[in-house]
Amino acid sequence: MTTTLEHTPTKGAARGGGIMRRLNFLTGIIGGVLVAALFYVIARETLDQGSRTFVDTLTTLTGVGWVIGFWLGIGAFTGVGRWFIGKDQNHDDEMYLAGKDLGRARYWKYTTDHKVVGVQYVIVTMVLLAAGGILAMALRTELITPGAHFVNPQIYNAFISVHGMVMIVALIVAVAGPWANFVVPIMVGARDMAFPRLNALSLWTLVAAIPLLLGSLCIGGLSMGWVTQAPISEQAGPGMDLFALAIITFAVSTTVAGVNTICTVLTMRTKGMTLERLPIFVWSSIIAAGLGLYAFPFFLVVMALNIVDRTTGTSFFIASGGGTGWLQENLFWLMGHPEVYVILLPAVGALLEITTVFSRKPLFSYRTAVGGMAALAGLSVLVWAHHMFQTGWAPTLGGPFMLTTELISIPTGIVFLVILGTLWRGNIWMKLPMYWVFGFVFDFLIGGVTGIYLSDIPVDNQMHGTMFVVAHFHYVFVGSVLFGAIAALCFWFPKMTGRFLDEKLGKISFWLTFVGVQVTFLSMFVSGLRGMPRRYASYAIIFEHTNFISTIGAYIIMAGMLVLLAAIIQSWRSGEPSGPNPWSSKTLEWLVPTPVPLENFEVLPVITSDPYTYGEELVNS
Amino acid sequence: MATNNDNKKAIYSIFWIWLVITIVGVLISIKAPAWLMPTSASSTMHLVIETIVVFSVAAAPVAALVYAVALYALVKWRWRGEGVPPDGPNLRNNSTLTAVWIVSSTMLTIFLLIWGLAALAVDEGGGNGKNPMTVDVTGQQWAWSFTYPGTHVASNELYLPVNDKITFNVTSKDVVHGFWIVQMGVKVNANPGVSTSVSVTPDKIGTYDIRCTEICGLYHAYMVTRVHVLSDAAFSKWLSSQPSRA
Repeated sequence: MTTTLEHTPTKGAARGGGIMRRLNFLTGIIGGVLVAALFYVIARETLDQGSRTFVDTLTTLTGVGWVIGFWLGIGAFTGVGRWFIGKDQNHDDEMYLAGKDLGRARYWKYTTDHKVVGVQYVIVTMVLLAAGGILAMALRTELITPGAHFVNPQIYNAFISVHGMVMIVALIVAVAGPWANFVVPIMVGARDMAFPRLNALSLWTLVAAIPLLLGSLCIGGLSMGWVTQAPISEQAGPGMDLFALAIITFAVSTTVAGVNTICTVLTMRTKGMTLERLPIFVWSSIIAAGLGLYAFPFFLVVMALNIVDRTTGTSFFIASGGGTGWLQENLFWLMGHPEVYVILLPAVGALLEITTVFSRKPLFSYRTAVGGMAALAGLSVLVWAHHMFQTGWAPTLGGPFMLTTELISIPTGIVFLVILGTLWRGNIWMKLPMYWVFGFVFDFLIGGVTGIYLSDIPVDNQMHGTMFVVAHFHYVFVGSVLFGAIAALCFWFPKMTGRFLDEKLGKISFWLTFVGVQVTFLSMFVSGLRGMPRRYASYAIIFEHTNFISTIGAYIIMAGMLVLLAAIIQSWRSGEPSGPNPWSSKTLEWLVPTPVPLENFEVLPVITSDPYTYGEELVNS
Repeated sequence: MATNNDNKKAIYSIFWIWLVITIVGVLISIKAPAWLMPTSASSTMHLVIETIVVFSVAAAPVAALVYAVALYALVKWRWRGEGVPPDGPNLRNNSTLTAVWIVSSTMLTIFLLIWGLAALAVDEGGGNGKNPMTVDVTGQQWAWSFTYPGTHVASNELYLPVNDKITFNVTSKDVVHGFWIVQMGVKVNANPGVSTSVSVTPDKIGTYDIRCTEICGLYHAYMVTRVHVLSDAAFSKWLSSQPSRA
């Protein structure tokens, strides 16, 4: 059922909502704390306190209590509950839930409007990047000198584990969260997502996972890295239980979000919006969402098995009990490699969208671009064991996995072909988003080429587990994906806020970040080539200079990010008004008013061509 | 047609930018790996450095092409007027170019793959050392220990004879560790409950580094030791001077 603006009774709207009127983020936290406390007390009183697994069971149950309580407190179950007792929500309730006439309060509530969820995702992403960034700065500060002076090795290990996981989560949601929610429904000509309540559920489930993830740091005992290597993850302190629960919660959030995105695009497209006319960003979003649906259950399972091992004394991953760490490694990387492309694809989609608009040219070779993305997704599920060449798990499979891994360079090359082909003879408008596009081209090439070295087994035998690998994937994650996420933010910021992101501050931020990335990670390649293993709190004197340079570079990146934060805050409050379509783009989201009204379109548009008709008048005239 | 002229002019300039970047890239590719990487102490490590050089040389023209086009676009096709630029040409595809791009990147990939598989096959045996010898390696939090089968000798630093083929049987007493001889290009994980193996032929007398490469807890960064590669005579002398643990 769809609702339209016209038949919304004005005075009735004030009365909709029922119990949802009283629920918000604060009641969510209160609910979470109360139920967590309840679970804690019950567990403490009923469990055998002398048991070896007592602390882990207690921690796990308390964490589960937090998530359930948070869901209850924010109202995640209200709609389902009302349906269950036969009092389904009426139109006024739905309008209240969508945030109608709520002003800023709607950003703190279980609001179903996809544009509100998009804004919420921007904030959550920034919180995650800030948390991960602070940890990164602590790590780099520790590594500025060879010895372990700034933090002790125990804290260092906990920091690398949580830094890695927080940043992975941040980047998974950095483009898909804000923009697959805010932009994709409008791009395909829909009034909202296919499942608006699930949309709110995915956002607030992610929010529920953050205290668990950061809390794991506070309880401590983390020593396993973000890869949750077993059996050291079995040996880790109770922080590991919260860490695992955070992943499980996050996997639920991502699955819900992925289903929603795919269903929206497949079922809610407006008339004439054939699959061949979808903007490329929509394609990248659904391919990434589909890949996520395949990948994240592995992560959920591996963490669940870990918790079961830790709380009940089973031995899935413990050799002396008949288990094996190889099972953990396989399950983890079955998730871990596709996840890279879940992160990368939406960023690439956004960058391609930006490239066409600012080159004033059609996307070059649309079908090749879609095919390339699909090929990346398809191949990415077949390469996981290249993370395991040195484990000894299956030496005979080295060749086949080397093959699949190297094949990925072909669709990766297509990404470059499409970007360069789109730039070719365009009229390139160097506004802020384009700076990040060129930064991406520069960095992604380095990240890609160094990946080819690592696909080669003899070279990987030398490089695996060193700073070379760390530098490689930071070129992909920071230099490419984060650049893509920032480009997307600069590009869609006017649609979201009605204001331009400040060009001057934005460009300062770009140059600081761009230079910082090169200084930090080029130097880190050298540390790795010279033989420095990763995850070392303390290192031999020969690595001193390159680490010092990397740390300076990291501080430059931090400065760039702080300038960006200042630009965002300043522009959001008092930036230059942009109007509805400041970039003269042809995708649908720019053709609706800014701020975008609830339900987006008064009359749903009818589509007659794809949005890449740049230069057609010239051809026809 | 004017468009063909535009294309030709661009391609001509891009070619020269490409050539310059390629030459610089190839020079760096040939020189940098040997300069940045540790001294090689085995044929395996020679192969690693050689592979990095070959891959870099192969990648240089591709990278140069991307950078040349991007650079040219940034400078020459940049819109310097006010406001929204006019539309560019309506180039939706060029199937010849797309096909050439995909075919050539596929051929490059196949070359890298063949190189990799060949290197893998050559190195499977860990070099062509003379007298094969086995060393048992055990990792535990946070130290390595080495025992020399048939001799009842154990040590915390590794001693090896030069030019003999050594096979390491690696295991762990607790969690996963990574056994890596930095200058020999060999690495294998030490897993609890199973034994993994790797072979190498050290070809240079000297002292080299062993570092743990899988996070293994508190003192992971301190799980380092050394390997001494000795002449046959010096190795026999060292072995006989050790107290037997039998």
